[in-house]
Amino acid sequence: MLSGSSGTGPEFEHFDDFTLASSWERFISEIEAVCRQWLADGPKNLLVKDAVRMNHVKDLYKVKSEFKYAMKSYCMEYYFSTSNDGKVADWDQTLHGLQLSFGVITPQSASGVVLDAPEASKLLSAVAIALSNCSCLWPAFVPVHDPSRKAYIGIQNMGTVFTRRLKLTALVASSVHAKFQATLEQFDKSDCSEIFVFVHFKMKLTYRTPICDDEDELQEPDADIAESSENVENETHGKTQWDDDFPWSKWYSAEDPVKGFELLVIWSEITAESSWIWLNWKMLHHWKLISGSYIHVFPKIFDHFIQRDGRVLHEQYGISDGSTIGFASQLHLLVKALEMSSDAKFIEDFVSGSESLKSSGVVPPPTVLDRVLKDLFHEVTEAQLDSSVGEHKSSRSIKGAPLESLFAQFCLHALWFGNCSIRAIAVLWIEFVREVRWCWEESQPLPRMPANGTIDLSTCLINQKLHMLAVCIDKNRQEFKGHNVGTNDSVTTHVLLEDLQIPSELSASHGASEGFDRKHDRNGSAGVAGSMMLLKSCKIMHAPITQDPPPMTEDMHEERLRAAEALGDSFSFSGQLEKDILASDMSAFKAANPDAVFEDFIRWHSPRDWENDDSEEVGVSQTDAVKVSEVKWPPRGRLSERMSDNGNSWRKIWNEAPPLPASEQKPLLDPNREGEKVVMADVDGSGRSEIVSCSYWSAHVLHYLETLRPYQLLEQMVCTAFRAAADTLNQTSFAHNASINSDDIEDLQRLCATFEHIEKLILLAASLHRKFFNSPHLAQAFFSDCYDYYLPNMGTASAHGDTNKEFDKKQRVKSRDRNLIVGMFTPPTANQSWRKVLSMGNLLNGHEPILREIIFSKCDHVSESYYAAGTPKLYQQDIETHRMHVCGTSNDLRVALAVTSFD
Amino acid sequence: MESLSGAPPEFDYLFKLLMIGDSGVGKSSLLLSFTSDAFEELSPTIGVDFKVKHVTVGGKKLKLAIWDTAGQERFRTLTSSYYRGAQGVIMGLVVSAFYDVTRRDTFTNLSDIWAKEIDLYSTNQDCIKMLVGNKVDKESERVVSKKEGIDFAREYGCLFIECSAKTRVNVEQCFEELVLKILETPSLLAEGSAGVKKNIFRQKPPESDASTSSCC
Repeated sequence: MLSGSSGTGPEFEHFDDFTLASSWERFISEIEAVCRQWLADGPKNLLVKDAVRMNHVKDLYKVKSEFKYAMKSYCMEYYFSTSNDGKVADWDQTLHGLQLSFGVITPQSASGVVLDAPEASKLLSAVAIALSNCSCLWPAFVPVHDPSRKAYIGIQNMGTVFTRRLKLTALVASSVHAKFQATLEQFDKSDCSEIFVFVHFKMKLTYRTPICDDEDELQEPDADIAESSENVENETHGKTQWDDDFPWSKWYSAEDPVKGFELLVIWSEITAESSWIWLNWKMLHHWKLISGSYIHVFPKIFDHFIQRDGRVLHEQYGISDGSTIGFASQLHLLVKALEMSSDAKFIEDFVSGSESLKSSGVVPPPTVLDRVLKDLFHEVTEAQLDSSVGEHKSSRSIKGAPLESLFAQFCLHALWFGNCSIRAIAVLWIEFVREVRWCWEESQPLPRMPANGTIDLSTCLINQKLHMLAVCIDKNRQEFKGHNVGTNDSVTTHVLLEDLQIPSELSASHGASEGFDRKHDRNGSAGVAGSMMLLKSCKIMHAPITQDPPPMTEDMHEERLRAAEALGDSFSFSGQLEKDILASDMSAFKAANPDAVFEDFIRWHSPRDWENDDSEEVGVSQTDAVKVSEVKWPPRGRLSERMSDNGNSWRKIWNEAPPLPASEQKPLLDPNREGEKVVMADVDGSGRSEIVSCSYWSAHVLHYLETLRPYQLLEQMVCTAFRAAADTLNQTSFAHNASINSDDIEDLQRLCATFEHIEKLILLAASLHRKFFNSPHLAQAFFSDCYDYYLPNMGTASAHGDTNKEFDKKQRVKSRDRNLIVGMFTPPTANQSWRKVLSMGNLLNGHEPILREIIFSKCDHVSESYYAAGTPKLYQQDIETHRMHVCGTSNDLRVALAVTSFD
Repeated sequence: MESLSGAPPEFDYLFKLLMIGDSGVGKSSLLLSFTSDAFEELSPTIGVDFKVKHVTVGGKKLKLAIWDTAGQERFRTLTSSYYRGAQGVIMGLVVSAFYDVTRRDTFTNLSDIWAKEIDLYSTNQDCIKMLVGNKVDKESERVVSKKEGIDFAREYGCLFIECSAKTRVNVEQCFEELVLKILETPSLLAEGSAGVKKNIFRQKPPESDASTSSCC
């Protein structure tokens, strides 16, 4: 109930005489009583009472009441809405179908029985009399024919001498076009008194973008829209998936979350001479062409997939149903495997385990296993090693491994291997470790792992161990190479040495003032160190090539720290490893600068401990570029107080350090060092420390990998898989950035749920981005609509919140986007074009609108004399004498006709 | 802050503190001043040094394991491992950043180098950072004003104090304030609380919460 009717409250005091009432009259008065009650209550009270909300419609409620008359029972329903804005807008989706059809406010109908024509009209007049008695302006409807035809007749008291007669009929299938034409003509001729009849015309056409069936070959929507270059290759293969070139497609193919779009084209009011409209309405097909001054174009488009039914969205995004396959679903399975792993001591238990285990996890055939191992170990391109691409800044805080690293790729494979059961994981892991061991034994570089650099302690331990192994293998290979080149059995790697000498020779020839002294050959120089001159010899200082700090995994660090803390107060700890590094640096420095003194070393290594007299040189460090072209010699200055103290430990080390280039030094990666009193692994007896340490640490790593507890493995796999999956999705390019907020994570299950939400949103964003490549603001707008709609359910395990809430956001198409939108309607293929036979026109690129809504109305000037005395509110004005509302698809078109007549 | 000599075996919390900053700013001197009430010229730290001190703050018995790192660039790759908030039993990682008020570039290095190092290597997002301006006894040689120190601390969310290892001005207060702040931070307390054996390989608790109970 809206506007006018709510204001005119009925009077309750007036008296009705029922004494002579027939059963017919009693029936009328019963209806009247109910109507009065409903009128008196108003929407708010009715809501409190027993109004029922209509399904999926925001703001439409109904109440009903039942009556008996002549052994039959009838049901009367009253539909009303609570938003009292007083205006009925065209195209308002919240209205009941009858309201739409007749443009009236609150329809009322008796339904539920099949009525024949006399019964229907009798019933209608009963309601009409009842409504008239209580001065109610509600229109009333009764159904005619079979309910499936949805045909009604109706009547509305206008509060004047006019009564509006209403008729709604459905047209079916083949005869639609002809009947529609006939109806139009009938409408036109219904009042032939004038030659020029002006008719108001409104039309809303709904187009739906073509949906690609599986049989249909996917076509690029438009050369302008998609990046054609990317897809050329794919198209030659015939069938392509929409997400073929998205980063997740290596692992799974997702269903396109955006099924299509609906385009609403609206011509608001056109007033024209009727014959013009009859001639032209069918030609109104391409809104772009007629967006001239006389037609107001009001197009909207919206995401049909989400709009269709609010519940679809929720089911799609539902958590535990497992219907959608994605990273989230697999991570769920991995977490389950983690739970199971806590009972077992050995990975092997899961392979040869009990029957129940065997039945629970299917292990893929060996061919699949081979393919996975081949991908992991053999099909590695250089580009894949750049691990930082697409890595989210917060993914570092997840203790996993970089996306392209060996272990991260292992985890991603494991997610999809045999449905990620613990048994499949165990099988894959055992083969994985076997392959890693093979790499070591055959001195093959470990794929997807850097063979140098420092070990990143923020990654998981397995990744650190693999990095360690890669470094060892690399050292071993260099050693092997050295043996091939040289004939002696020294530790020196000759290839390396030759490389090292090149820069020193080069710089020696550049050093003008440098005299050649064969006895003190420079060895292992990395180039000149800024503009610094030695103190005691007029030579340019060279920075030495130094040994890399030894690769250490975090458990090795733990070991050191624990040892230090155990000694605690009683012992002034100073790291033996650091002392070794310092001694190594000093040896290398001596080798690179044969005439250097301790002070020279300090000037290079710890510039702050050299107090320079020449103020210009303050702050020169080994990293500074050459600034001073003319160098004064000798440099003047002194060591800092603390460095020149008696018994300074630096000087002690300096005095003991032999001049030795890094390449000839004992490696820092030495298992014999310091607190590691672990029993040595078997040594080949060669005595070569490089080999010894590599063998030792490699054996260490392999032992760790081979005896890893299932639980430890799964724990690291979960972290790494989460991170790798997130990084993979994060490589998707789209404008909006959804990121995983690791602060909100409470437990793994919830994390999985959140992950699923994010995954869906990323897919959605990717899809929108692809479709609106040239119009990012539209993609952005759509996405943020979806995001806002979806946000309240984020982070909750249950996505079944307010399922009645519908997603119905639309975006207005601006003129610059029109070509893009039209381009989405690709011309129909041959097998689709049969539909044209039934076409009623209004084609957009050959596409019939899926839904039409057309309103024709005609107004007549009515003079004052026509008004009934009791309706002072209505003044002289045009009233709508004829109104035709056409609505539906071309196969199911309903025509509603309202004719106002003078009784 | 009362120092309890004699090192009682029991403590409520173990906090791991780390000292970083350019070489020569007086980290080791400050540490020595704090742990043994002494001031002397020390040899430059080689790599890293380590001290333990038992204190009672706010009614809690605390064991402070303080790691003192060398500022030289050459040691930096190694010292990065000390940022990790992990040691045998109980952990609460705290980092104190230093700059030397007598040297201008030690101040600029704070943002150029040390703040970045913390971001890169710290495993504990909540760790308390403290900026300590050492050597206030050399007031005449001051190159960085107190206001600049305060501004930096505000920008990077640090505590700020000025002290002198030589005169022992503010030395105790410096550590006390830091420890009090840790005591006020629940996530740091949880890691540092005595008696709970934590999985040291775990960087962030949430990833493995579900599993802790079932762990062997």
